Amino acid sequence: MTETALEIRGVAKRYAAHVAVRDLSLTVPAGAVYGLLGPNGAGKTTTIRMILNIIAPDEGTIRVLGRPNTETVVLDRLGYLPEERGLYKTMVVRDVLRFLGALKGVGTREADRRIDEWLDRLSLRSDAKDWGKAKVEELSRGMQQKVQFIGTLLHDPELVILDEPFSGLDPINAQALKDTVVDLKRRGRTVIFSTHLMDNAERLCDAVCIIARGEKVLDGTVAGVKAAAGDRTVALALEGSADPAVMAVLQDPALVARLDDRSRSFEVTMPEGADPQVLLTRLIGAGARIQRFERVQPSLHQIFLDRVGATGVEPGMSGHG
Amino acid sequence: MGKLWTVIRREYVERVRSKWFVIVTLFGPLFFGTVMVLPGYLSVRAMREARVANIRIIDATGAGLGARVAWRLAPTPLQGDAQAVAEVDTVAPDDVAAAEAALLGQIQQRTLVGVLTVDATTLQAGTARYMGRNAGSVGEVQAIESAIKQALIGSGMEAAGIATAQADALLRLRVRVSAERVTDEGKGGSGLANTIFGFGVAFLLYFSIVFYGQAILRGVLEEKTTRVAEVIVASVKPDVLLAGKVIGVGSVGLTQQLVWLASGVGFYTQRGRILDLLGMEGMPPLPMPSIEAPVLVALVLFFLLGYTLYASLFAAVGAMVGSQEEAQQAAQPVIMLLVFSIIFAQPVLTNPTSRLAEVMSWIPFSAPIIMPMRMTATPVSWTEIFLSLVGVALASAACVWLAARIYRVGLLMYGKRMSFATIMEIIRLRRSD
Repeated sequence: MTETALEIRGVAKRYAAHVAVRDLSLTVPAGAVYGLLGPNGAGKTTTIRMILNIIAPDEGTIRVLGRPNTETVVLDRLGYLPEERGLYKTMVVRDVLRFLGALKGVGTREADRRIDEWLDRLSLRSDAKDWGKAKVEELSRGMQQKVQFIGTLLHDPELVILDEPFSGLDPINAQALKDTVVDLKRRGRTVIFSTHLMDNAERLCDAVCIIARGEKVLDGTVAGVKAAAGDRTVALALEGSADPAVMAVLQDPALVARLDDRSRSFEVTMPEGADPQVLLTRLIGAGARIQRFERVQPSLHQIFLDRVGATGVEPGMSGHG
Repeated sequence: MGKLWTVIRREYVERVRSKWFVIVTLFGPLFFGTVMVLPGYLSVRAMREARVANIRIIDATGAGLGARVAWRLAPTPLQGDAQAVAEVDTVAPDDVAAAEAALLGQIQQRTLVGVLTVDATTLQAGTARYMGRNAGSVGEVQAIESAIKQALIGSGMEAAGIATAQADALLRLRVRVSAERVTDEGKGGSGLANTIFGFGVAFLLYFSIVFYGQAILRGVLEEKTTRVAEVIVASVKPDVLLAGKVIGVGSVGLTQQLVWLASGVGFYTQRGRILDLLGMEGMPPLPMPSIEAPVLVALVLFFLLGYTLYASLFAAVGAMVGSQEEAQQAAQPVIMLLVFSIIFAQPVLTNPTSRLAEVMSWIPFSAPIIMPMRMTATPVSWTEIFLSLVGVALASAACVWLAARIYRVGLLMYGKRMSFATIMEIIRLRRSD
């Protein structure tokens, strides 16, 4: 196993109407769970497609598992779950999986053994019903997602790339996905996934890269990113809802730079040089009944909003990526 | 190579397993069986059942002409069993009207098919009267006319002193002209059979290209709309996927044609035996087209190249559009090219040496259909065939190149149809993405 699973250097991709990715560099250490974060249209899917050599970058180099990603052998060691998902509707599930396996160089016998394992594990097979023998179109949407997931992992890839894996998943499948990601990490595999859901990223990732408008905003380990964002954040919880006097304090620009209002709990980002002690005194003075007042590291969500802004999307950059 | 094989195998296996493939493929043997056996069977049966046995002959000649006619009408004279010979009522000339009136009722009740009346005028002027349900059938009335004529000649010959047996032998003399085709090489063969074969080949090529070309279009569209394409192109290059698709679907077409060819040859060679089994002996053999091995090779090449040309165009259309409805519309220009070729099949076939036929067999888009037809219908020089093949090969290489470019980009463009400007841009792109 190489030390670096993925290395992107100075990559750019331009289309006629817009620039999808500009001068992007990032490094993913082997064995890490890595989050590629960004709003819709930030260039995530374009970046992922370039990693997989589906499209070629205009500039820059990409090395996967220690080799240039233009080598076909390297692609066999990658597993890819695209954001837009689908399977051949009229094919039998087992045949689809055998086909996807064969495309990655897995022989039929070995594929069958692994398919059995996966079908059991994701409860697609029981004594009563073997969904492996059914046609894809007979499966529910949730079951099709499971099959797609098996297809991504059937060849036991060293590097797994998941594009917006949580979009469209029901809670049960989302949990199964998280479990699998954790299991992959335990077995030393590298997982890269893109998402715009910061909560998932914060819980699962070792390291992240936030991109917006086709550019890297920041990257590093989750702990490092949070530490770098400073300790200007206060987690606040009130008994009952905030009355106008309390809200006036929370809207004072001298004390509060940004407020994430969740009705009874708040994530408060204070401006540079402001004293949390003053904020606490003012809140009590306004009659607030405080349940929690804690200086915390900012959430990824907060960092994201701070650094990218509320939209982070340039006009004309809608669509994929 | 392994991945190409994987793609080809999936395309092939999934299609050959489908119930439509089985139905369409079985249609071939059914068709050949019908064409080669049924007409013979039907004509023999019709001759036996309806025509002769159920005709009554009223003979007012007083010279026994009715019996002679009945005997001539029997399907196999001399061997015919008594029941197959029409009944003859010999009446006096004055009673003809009454006899006819009596039998008319039987025809109306469908116990009789018809009544033939022969009398003195038949002997003198060769005119007779026939009333029957089948009077509208030209063939059957002609058969009756021919029977009367033979009966008259027979009695005439006997009157001239020729023995009955001899007269019979002379009358049963059959003449058949077999038209031989002459080519530059001096080889023979049936002219008509070659024309029919030429049309068959052209139609088969047309049908296969339309059918399997559209199968490719639907396949590409399916991968695009279900988003399977994205997973696959992460494992194989789009060019490999396209090639695998074209080869896989083409192999399905070849398999089908092989089944059809085998059943055609099978029915042709076994036709005599099958007809014997059905109790029909002595049917004349079908004329055989004369096709030399090099011609067959050229036919296969025309099919392969023509199929590749159109398949890649259909694949490009599939990659360009986003839905089945759009596909129908966008495929129109490609289908027009094909229809344009088959529209001229008739004039080319009736006049294979015309300027039109020559030009059509030179244009790469119509050559795969028109040239095979022309070269089986009439001798065409090998240089011309070779140059036409080269033309089709070049055009198909250009189409594959073009299709591959459009395919690579179009496959991952969801939800919108490519504009003409986009397509031109893709074609001009230098990078391979």
